[in-house]
Amino acid sequence: MEQLKLPAIVIGQSDIARLQRELNGLNDFFTSARARQTGISMQLPKLTRILNQLAHENGINLLEEPDRQKLSAALTALYEHAPSLHISFASEPSPKAMETLVLWVRANIHPHALILVGLQPSVAAGCFLRTPNKVFDLSLRTTLKKSEPYLIKLIAGAVSGR
Amino acid sequence: MNTGGLILIVGSLLAASGAFIWLALKLEGGGKKTKDKNTPQTQLTAAAQEDVEHIFNTEFREELRNRGRLHFEKILGENAMFLQQDLRQTTTQLNDYMRAEITRTLQEEFKKYEQSIVDAKQIAIDSIEKTVATIEQQRQFLEQQMQSQSEAQKNRIINRFEAEMATIVNHYVLLAIGNQIDLTDQMDFILGEMQANKQAIIEDIKRGAT
Repeated sequence: MEQLKLPAIVIGQSDIARLQRELNGLNDFFTSARARQTGISMQLPKLTRILNQLAHENGINLLEEPDRQKLSAALTALYEHAPSLHISFASEPSPKAMETLVLWVRANIHPHALILVGLQPSVAAGCFLRTPNKVFDLSLRTTLKKSEPYLIKLIAGAVSGR
Repeated sequence: MNTGGLILIVGSLLAASGAFIWLALKLEGGGKKTKDKNTPQTQLTAAAQEDVEHIFNTEFREELRNRGRLHFEKILGENAMFLQQDLRQTTTQLNDYMRAEITRTLQEEFKKYEQSIVDAKQIAIDSIEKTVATIEQQRQFLEQQMQSQSEAQKNRIINRFEAEMATIVNHYVLLAIGNQIDLTDQMDFILGEMQANKQAIIEDIKRGAT
């Protein structure tokens, strides 16, 4: 697991679970392929982009069973132990924004951090970040609250015309 | 002519009447005493009486009566005229007196009435001034009260606005551009905030992992 590099498109636990299911399906395919009769053609299942990218970035050959087992174990370990961050935004984030965010989190917080995205319309701008034990209010409201004296100064200046 | 003169005239008239009556009685009584007609005295008396009768005969007496009546009437007329003059004068004086008294009384009453009006006016003015002063005090009190309440209300609004300013601005931003603001545009802000809380996030993750 220590060696596994997560691509930016792998965001949360749901992606890990999907990868595991896909990997299991691939294992099942190879098992059935070994039991096939001679002369019957079998078509390799189409892999998703997320699994392809994960395998490519980690140098894993999905045709090799040991590699698949290694990846499956790593994914299981990730699913069970990777730190999870719950982030709530005002609206559904775009893939580009999520990629930026995931890259930053994995570069600065933890390389295997998984992110669960939620919606909180009252946030307006910014986000709420929930870690296992804490909630970080990174919303615009909190920022405005912190800069309240400056805001009052601006309003007072506007009212007095200076 | 005064009252004394009138009394004197009436007294003289009464005296003259008394003298006539006495003379008539005397002449009548003399006739009764002629008991003895043959005496010289009786004869003299009769002669005198005859002369008297001759002098003061009926016509003469009637003339005297007429003259007395006329004189009496003249005196009565004069006195009546004097009395009328006196009465007229007295009436005139009385009228003047009454007029003066009435005028004086009326003037006094008018003065009293005028003074009463002045007093009432002064009382009314004092009352109005007191009312005006009271109203002015009430106005000032109300003005101060309204100013203080207005100031308190203003302070309450300002304090509430200051306390809720972040929420208000946030709500305004949410209403104004909530649906239009893109997360990509906010990413710098979000990453900046996360950078500011980076250490706390890492520590909490490590604590959660253990």
